[in-house]
Amino acid sequence: MEMNTQQLIETLSKDVPRVAPHAPARRIGIGITAGGFVTAVLVAAVLGIRPDLRAAMHGFSFWMKWAYTISLGVGAGYIVAQLARPTSGSLRGLWVLLIPVLILMGIGIGELARTPSANWLAMWRGQSWMICPWLVLTLAMPIFVGLLWSFRQFAPTRLRAAGASAGLAAGAWAAAIYCLHCPEASATFVLTWYTLGIVAAAGAGALLGPRLMRW
Amino acid sequence: MRTPESEAQLKAWMLDGLDGDSTAHAALLRALVPLLKSFYRRRLHGTEEDVQDLVQETLISVHTRRASYDRDRPFTAWLYAVARYRMIDHFRRQKVSVPIEDVDDILLAEGFEEAVSARMDVDTLLDTLSPKQARAIRDTHIEGKSIAEAAVGAGIGESDVKISVHRGFKAIVDRMRDSWR
Repeated sequence: MEMNTQQLIETLSKDVPRVAPHAPARRIGIGITAGGFVTAVLVAAVLGIRPDLRAAMHGFSFWMKWAYTISLGVGAGYIVAQLARPTSGSLRGLWVLLIPVLILMGIGIGELARTPSANWLAMWRGQSWMICPWLVLTLAMPIFVGLLWSFRQFAPTRLRAAGASAGLAAGAWAAAIYCLHCPEASATFVLTWYTLGIVAAAGAGALLGPRLMRW
Repeated sequence: MRTPESEAQLKAWMLDGLDGDSTAHAALLRALVPLLKSFYRRRLHGTEEDVQDLVQETLISVHTRRASYDRDRPFTAWLYAVARYRMIDHFRRQKVSVPIEDVDDILLAEGFEEAVSARMDVDTLLDTLSPKQARAIRDTHIEGKSIAEAAVGAGIGESDVKISVHRGFKAIVDRMRDSWR
């Protein structure tokens, strides 16, 4: 063995910290939580918490929005954990992400059936359809940065997919936090504009992944 | 039997290293040097210097990215995935214009892709066999035990081990042939 390879091994072996069995999952959790904290501060300070939050938390639509965004966030986090490893294999679990989308679609169809068709457009657009996707995309940034930190100890080999999944997770968790501000209540609104913002975050992640996740 | 290159030995060192054992970690890195050298020598038409650089870069990656190893999975599959990434990154940084098709050729020609996916799929395939056949193949062809050791371990005769291995392999081959049709 060459002398400097030998030296390299000795140097590396001086610093061998313990790695807990589920360290990657924990690190992803820390990245999302830290970024999510910044996002929450931004929502509270810049956008403001909706004044009727306490009352809204007793209603259906608030929990529908949380169930939708949080289940997407958990599912995306799982995909992130898979792509954090070099041997990510096939992403068989990906279809699970469709379940919340399909459920929300079902709720949306029921909602449309109960609403006179003259009001459909107003319900679909709500008060904030123009800005909602952009806010979700913007609020996803701190969480995406948190996940980039998580990836500093990971070994992704499919950088575009890893970036997309990190963007998806960031978008979904940003949307969940945005619910603290957003007063919209309709399923068709959430299905369209929230999802658009989350998908945009995934797309941005796919663009940035190959640059920012190289190691 | 645990040769320094065996999956069982490398994995044992890796797991101890993850638990904070720096001696095991050093032993692992030392054992990886010849493996990585032959891995890169067979694929790189460059100089010995390039090979040495890649080996050292890969050792550093193994060290800094070790949290990404899943304790329940084969170690060598993880190692070669890291080594493969380092090689592609090496081409990219050197701006050697290796068209992506050629990279695939290099990897495929070496049977590397199959070797890794085979390791990943081994458990899936073995699960389709009877427990006795699966154990016989795992002992003799993955763990590297002798027929005699495998027979004692499983509490069956040596000829039984041989027959189980033979029938198990035949069943796997038949199944793969069917799936390719």
